Amino acid sequence: MSKRRSARCSRSARGLAAACAAVALAGCALAPPKPWEKGDLARASMRFDTDPLQTKLTQHIYQSKEGAAGGDTVGGGGCGCN
Amino acid sequence: MAATDAAPPPRGDGAIRIGDRSAALVAAALALPGILPATALAQSAPDEGVVALRYYDYRDWQPGVDRMSVRSPSLYAFVPLTDSLTVEGSLVYDSVSGASPLYHDTVSGASGRGIGDYRSAGDAKVTKYFGDSSLAVGAAYSHEQDYISRAASLEWRTWSADRNRTYAIGFGAAKDRINAVEGVNAPVLDQPRETYDYLLGFTQVLDAESVVESSLTWSDGRGYFSDPYKLHDMRPDHRRILAWLTRYHRYFAASDATLQLGYRYLDDSFGDRSHMLEASWVQVLPHGFTLTPTIRYFTQSAAYFYRDPPFPQGFVPGQLYTADERLSAFGAVTLGLRLAKELPNRVTIDVAYNAYRQRGDWRLGGSGSPGLATFSARWIAFGIAKRF
Amino acid sequence: MASVHEMHVAGTDRDTADRAARAAIADVKRIEAKYSRYRDDSVTTAINRAAGARAVAIDAETASLLHYADRCHALADGRFDITSGVLRRAWDFKRRPPRLPSAGEIAAARDLIGWPRVDWSDERVFLPHAGMELDFGGIAKEYAADRAAAIVRDAGIAHALVNLGGDVRAIGPRADGSPWRVGIRDPRNAEGIVATMLVDDGAVATSGDYERYIEVDGRRYCHLLDPRTGMPVDHWRSASVAAPLAILAGSYATIAMLQGECAERFLAEQKVDALLVKADGSLRRIGHAASEQLVR
Repeated sequence: MSKRRSARCSRSARGLAAACAAVALAGCALAPPKPWEKGDLARASMRFDTDPLQTKLTQHIYQSKEGAAGGDTVGGGGCGCN
Repeated sequence: MAATDAAPPPRGDGAIRIGDRSAALVAAALALPGILPATALAQSAPDEGVVALRYYDYRDWQPGVDRMSVRSPSLYAFVPLTDSLTVEGSLVYDSVSGASPLYHDTVSGASGRGIGDYRSAGDAKVTKYFGDSSLAVGAAYSHEQDYISRAASLEWRTWSADRNRTYAIGFGAAKDRINAVEGVNAPVLDQPRETYDYLLGFTQVLDAESVVESSLTWSDGRGYFSDPYKLHDMRPDHRRILAWLTRYHRYFAASDATLQLGYRYLDDSFGDRSHMLEASWVQVLPHGFTLTPTIRYFTQSAAYFYRDPPFPQGFVPGQLYTADERLSAFGAVTLGLRLAKELPNRVTIDVAYNAYRQRGDWRLGGSGSPGLATFSARWIAFGIAKRF
Repeated sequence: MASVHEMHVAGTDRDTADRAARAAIADVKRIEAKYSRYRDDSVTTAINRAAGARAVAIDAETASLLHYADRCHALADGRFDITSGVLRRAWDFKRRPPRLPSAGEIAAARDLIGWPRVDWSDERVFLPHAGMELDFGGIAKEYAADRAAAIVRDAGIAHALVNLGGDVRAIGPRADGSPWRVGIRDPRNAEGIVATMLVDDGAVATSGDYERYIEVDGRRYCHLLDPRTGMPVDHWRSASVAAPLAILAGSYATIAMLQGECAERFLAEQKVDALLVKADGSLRRIGHAASEQLVR
């Protein structure tokens, strides 16, 4: 059991390192637009939060049918589907 | 004060001052209200309110047998109170019928009444906007026949001067109580569970047509995690989850369509590891229609205390155990299609159909848990929203 | 703002275009009413009536416009001054037969000018002497054009052209991808065009000596008055400037007119494209030197 645990921990650490690297790389913006060029970014399809109801409902479905779920928001409340 | 591009570099003669003053004028022009397009990056209080209603019909089944169906109306409202304060909230009511998924039907005594007949939940969030940051405070409440959850959250966002980068820090706490009087192992009376979530994220505008968002979430929960309606089910009383979610949106002007990609990696202390990949193509069509096909692939490994069928193989009294297929190793695919239409008076209606299937042999690498029957589900949603 | 306004919307269906146009027009009317010198219920009138007596509370929109006017004043070395409207009392452009003001009349008006003397903050504004006036005429119309464009763009429209009394603001190019063609009026011939500016998502504004003027003894005296001298400018017949926002284009054009011979250097430093018509009728181009200027 402990060997499995440590194997999982090192996999976790590698995953975290990959995440940080990706985050840092993405930090080099390629062509940041001027304020008046941001018209397309304002489209509903370009936002990350357009339809809160749809997001809540689909997240609830996945959380109740898939064990390894979560990580989308904080403090959204629990699910009774243990 | 809104940002502008950098002032021209100083040249050593009197032009230095003109350059600064010129940049200052452009900045003041951009700071005038209503001049810039409402940004996608939530950096000032939107001045548009929304009321939305959604109804969805969910059904799942396994080969030959109908399992569970849920009908759920929900309501959402977003109201700007002042030009720097907004409030939003939602209410959901699920009415559930049918049996809970039973994958091991040789369990005696477990008649499958694991799911409460209803669920009602509500949440509210207040967001206050400052010049270059915002603070949101939220609360949520969920109530089922055997379960109550109360949660609160705090999120602080700040953005760079040119508003192309946003940082977010979030914190959430949830206190749940499980009261499964008809638990099959023993009545589960008033068991608590406390979870603390932490989030760190950023959003970056890459260019005028694309934006990426990435966040890391850490969740630490202690309390009751077992399923009271599954025989012998005993899980750890401590669950830690690390999740990394990245999303990328790109607009294609030539097709008037947006590509939305998402990837989430999750690792938790139950031994679950999962990858989720999702892609949508939001295609604007003539006459105010928008068609969005979506595909999602999900794969997870099994919890370390999950035991393959036949039940109760591997069960040792006093040791952690679960036969819950939701903690087995499998892959799942969702295919969805959504059609929306803009009507006069800023009303939008939409209808969506989603089909979902879970199979052990769809797990990435193919080594899913053996002996599981395919699990399928479909949900249809109708929505109507009005902006004001 | 009593001039011709028009709006072209292309590449979308009738309903969307109508809705967006109506929303934009409603906002233009709102701004016009809010900052009009002639209306009893306008913000401008409230501020001007309280001059010398008390401060007037203002909202965020008015405060932003004052910030903008403040920056214009700095950039133009004091030549752009929204308190200079009182010179109207000395220069009466409607009087027939036309007559030049006396030195005393000009001096009396100049005593009431001075943006640095205005006591203002994000919450309130106070004109310290009775008779002082604020005049948003130089910026409110262009501000309205930019807001109208933002409203139309937020409605999802990708091709539109707004023209408020000569200040033009474009969203995107024409529906077929080609730039909008904006003609520059000949300062001495109301029917004639001296040049064409091609606009592909930006604004063009023109300031000229032909909007309001009097002619006395063969000399033209126009309504663009230098607040430091009280006298009209006469170096250029008109200045047309292209910039990303209408309010910037309008301010640069007015400042260029007020700067006289320094206008070319000024406009080059702002990195904008412009077309100037000199007093003798010859043309000066700043920025793109092509015969047709592309504006982005």
